[in-house]
Amino acid sequence: MGTHLVSMQGIRKTFGDVVALDNVDFHLEKGEIHGLLGGNGAGKTTLMNVLYGLYQPDAGKIYIRGQEVRIRSPRDALAHGIGMVHQHFLQVPPFTVVENIVLGTLPKLRATTHLEEEIGKIRALAERFGLEVDPLARVEDLPVGVRQRVEILKVLYRGVDILILDEPTTNLTPQEVDALFQSLRFMVDQGLSVVFITHKIREVMAVCDRVTVLRDGRNVFTVSLKETDEETLVRGMVGEQLDVATSFLFSGRREEARPRSFGPPRVEVEDFAVMGDDGTLAVDGCTFHVRAGEIFGLAGVAGNGQRELAEGLMGLRAVARGRAHVNGIPVQEGATREILNSGVAYIPEDRLEDGFLPRASVAHNLILGYHTRPPYRKGWFLDWRLVFQTAWDLIREYNIRTRGPHDIAANLSGGNIQRLMLARAFAHPMKVLIAHNPTRGLDIPSMEFVYRKLLEQRAQGVAILLISEDLDELLLLSDRLGAMYEGRILGILEHPPFDKYVIGRMMAGIPAETR
Amino acid sequence: MHVSQQIITLARLVILTLVPYVLAAQGTMLGGRAGVFSVAQEGIMLVSAVVGFLGAYYTGSLFYGALLAMLAGGLVGLAFAYFTTTLKMDQFVIGLALFFATAGLSTLIYKIAIGVTLKPPLIPTLQDIPIPLLERIPFLGDILFRQNVFVYFTIFLSVGLWYLLYRTGLGLEIRSVGENPLAADSLGVNVTLVRYATTIVGGMLMGLAGAYLPMAYTGTFTEDIVRGRGWLSIALTYFGGWAPHTIFLAALFFAGVEVFAFRAQVTGIGIPYQFLLMLPYIATILVMIPGFRWAREPAFLGKNYDREKRGIS
Repeated sequence: MGTHLVSMQGIRKTFGDVVALDNVDFHLEKGEIHGLLGGNGAGKTTLMNVLYGLYQPDAGKIYIRGQEVRIRSPRDALAHGIGMVHQHFLQVPPFTVVENIVLGTLPKLRATTHLEEEIGKIRALAERFGLEVDPLARVEDLPVGVRQRVEILKVLYRGVDILILDEPTTNLTPQEVDALFQSLRFMVDQGLSVVFITHKIREVMAVCDRVTVLRDGRNVFTVSLKETDEETLVRGMVGEQLDVATSFLFSGRREEARPRSFGPPRVEVEDFAVMGDDGTLAVDGCTFHVRAGEIFGLAGVAGNGQRELAEGLMGLRAVARGRAHVNGIPVQEGATREILNSGVAYIPEDRLEDGFLPRASVAHNLILGYHTRPPYRKGWFLDWRLVFQTAWDLIREYNIRTRGPHDIAANLSGGNIQRLMLARAFAHPMKVLIAHNPTRGLDIPSMEFVYRKLLEQRAQGVAILLISEDLDELLLLSDRLGAMYEGRILGILEHPPFDKYVIGRMMAGIPAETR
Repeated sequence: MHVSQQIITLARLVILTLVPYVLAAQGTMLGGRAGVFSVAQEGIMLVSAVVGFLGAYYTGSLFYGALLAMLAGGLVGLAFAYFTTTLKMDQFVIGLALFFATAGLSTLIYKIAIGVTLKPPLIPTLQDIPIPLLERIPFLGDILFRQNVFVYFTIFLSVGLWYLLYRTGLGLEIRSVGENPLAADSLGVNVTLVRYATTIVGGMLMGLAGAYLPMAYTGTFTEDIVRGRGWLSIALTYFGGWAPHTIFLAALFFAGVEVFAFRAQVTGIGIPYQFLLMLPYIATILVMIPGFRWAREPAFLGKNYDREKRGIS
C-alpha cells in the first residue's frame, strides 16, 4: 500500500435496502487512464461519487497518496486534488463560461466585472489541453461537445491532478470523442491521472491503460489493457447472464448476403414541422419514410427535435406545417387513439413522464393504451381475468422484477419500468413501431433482448422508426440511417455499412454529401 | 396649490407607499435567488409590525423598534430555512403554515402587551431627514431627498443588492444555488449556508417592511395594518423579474396605482370606492398576464436540495 495515488478499500454503500456497492476496492496509479467499466447499475458512478464526497460510504477506507482521508463534500475532494465531471453537466445555463468555471473560487466580495486574469488562466489551460472554448459565451448557447470541455476546464481550473470522467462520450459526435481522447492523452502526459467511467468496451480499448470491471456493485477484476482482450472484458461485464459467443450485441452486425427487400412505406413524412414547448419550431421540415420490414434509424444529439418529432407523429402535438401519414392515418393533433388502434406501438423517451402511471398497478400499465379494444375489452367492461393472465405472462417473459400484477408500478426500478414499456409495446401485434431511446437505462442482457425483439419485429414486416442517442445502437441495427440537427434531417445514408464520421458531421450540423 | 406642487405631493406619496413593497419584495427575491420561496410575507410583516410598534413604544426609540422587527423577521426566516433546507419539507406548505402562525401571533402579542383599550397607544411617526445639498435639486430634491430614513435605505438596498448579486463573487454563488444547486455544491459552494443566510436576511427585510407601516403611516397597530401588501409583494417579485433593480421599478408602478386609487376615493370621481379599493389587485392580475411570460424565475425556485437523494446509476 501507500504507493497508490488513490486507494479505496472495502467500500460499501446502500440506498434504502438496495446495495449499490458491496466491498469494492479501487486503486488509481499516477499518470494512468484507468477505465471503470460496467453495465447500468454496476455501481461505477456511485463509487466515484463516494470518492468525490457526494455520497458518504457506509463502510470502507479511502487513502490518497498514502494518507487516510475522509471526504465529506466535493469541497474536501477538490482540496485533495480530485475533480469530477458528471455525465449530466453540472452547469448553470444562464451563466457565461468563465462564471461557471470560477464559481466558488472567487473571494466573496471580489467584483466580477474584471475577470481578465481568470479568463487568461482559462485560455492558457484550454490551449495546453486542447480544449478550445470562448470564455465569454453563455453556456446555454453552446453545443454539447463544448459544454463538455467547459466541464473539464472547470475542474482543471481548480488545479486538480486526479480527474474523474463519468460517461464523457454521451452525446458527443465521433469527431468530438476523438478530440476528447486526444485531450486526455495530453493530460496524462502532463502528470494528471484520469478515471474514465464507461459502459463501452471500445472506449476502454481506445484510451485506457488499465481497467477495473464492476458488476452488480462488486469487483470483477482489474487488469492492464496489455494483458486483456475484448472478450475477457465482455465476460467480466455480463458474467453468466449472457452467452457472449452468440450475442448479437457483441458480435456486431453480420451483413446479409443479399440486399434486404422492403414492403410499402408505412410512415410517410413530408416537410413536417412541429412546435416545441418554447413556441419555436422544434421540428422544422422533416421528410422521410419508413417501409415495412425496415429499421429507419435517426441519430442526433439530444434536444434537436427528436422528442417533438416522435410526439408529433403520435398526434400528441399540433402539426405546424407539412404532412405525415403513420400506418395510413393522416397525422394531426388528437389522432393518437386512432393511430394506436391502427396497430402502431410507441415507446416514448421519458418513461417516467409519458406512457406510465406510477400509481396504477403493473397490470394496468401493461395494457395501457390497448385497454379500449379486444381482447381486453368485452362489451362495456374489461376482461380482468385475461388482463391479469397476460400480465403474469409478460412479467415472466420480460423478466420484470415485481411482486406481481397487483403491485403498484411506482415500486418498479427504472430498468424495470423500461422493461414494462417494452413488454407492452412488443406483446401486441403491430405494423409500425416508433421507439425513442428504447435501451436507455438497461443493463447489457436487457439491451441484447431488446435488439433481438426489434430484429424479430422487423423480420415480421413491421416498419420501425428508431430514434436514439446511442450511435452504436443505430449503426448496429439500422437499414437506413438519418441524422437530425436543429429540427431538420440533414441527410440519410441509404444502406449499411454506415460511416460514423459522416453521421457525426451531420449531428454537428454539417450536411452530408448525397451518396 | 400649484399644479407642480400637486405633482410633488403625489410623487412623495408614491415614494412613501413604495417602501414596504420594495423591502418585502427584495426579501422574497433574495431567498428566491437561492431557491427558497417563501409565501409567509403577509404574516412576517404582521408580526414584525407589532414587534416594531411595541419595541418603539416601550423603548421610546423607532430605531430599536425597527431593529427588533428585523430580529422577529429574521427568526421566522430562520425557522423557514430550518424546515425547508434542513428538514426538506415542502416550501409552499411551510410558508403557508408560517403565515398562519405569525398572523395569529401578531394579534396575540398585541393583546397580551396592550390589551383592549379605548384609546390605542401611539408612537411618533418617522421624521423627514433632508439630505444637505441634494434636497436643493429642484423637483427631485423635494420628492426624493426630504424623506424618512426608510426611503433612503430602500433605495440604497436596491442598488446594493443589484451590485451584490450581479457584480460580486458572493452574488455568483447565490444565483448558482438558485439555478443549479448540484452544480454549486460540486464546486464547493456551501449550498446550505447560502440558503440559510439569504432566507434569514430576506426575513429581516420583510420584518423591516412590517415595521415601516406603524412607523410611517399610522403610529398605531391594527390587525389589518398590512392589508395584503405581503401577498402583493410576491406578485411584485415576479413582475419585477426576480432582479433587484427591476423590482424597484415594478414597485413604482404598484405604488402609483395605489396612490391613484386613494386619491380617486378622496376627490370622488363617481366610482364606488369598493371598486377603487380593488384597483391595485386588479392591476396585479392584469400586469401578471404579460409579467409571467416575461419573468424568468430561478430554475430551482421552491425546490429543496438533497445531495444524496438520487438513485444509483
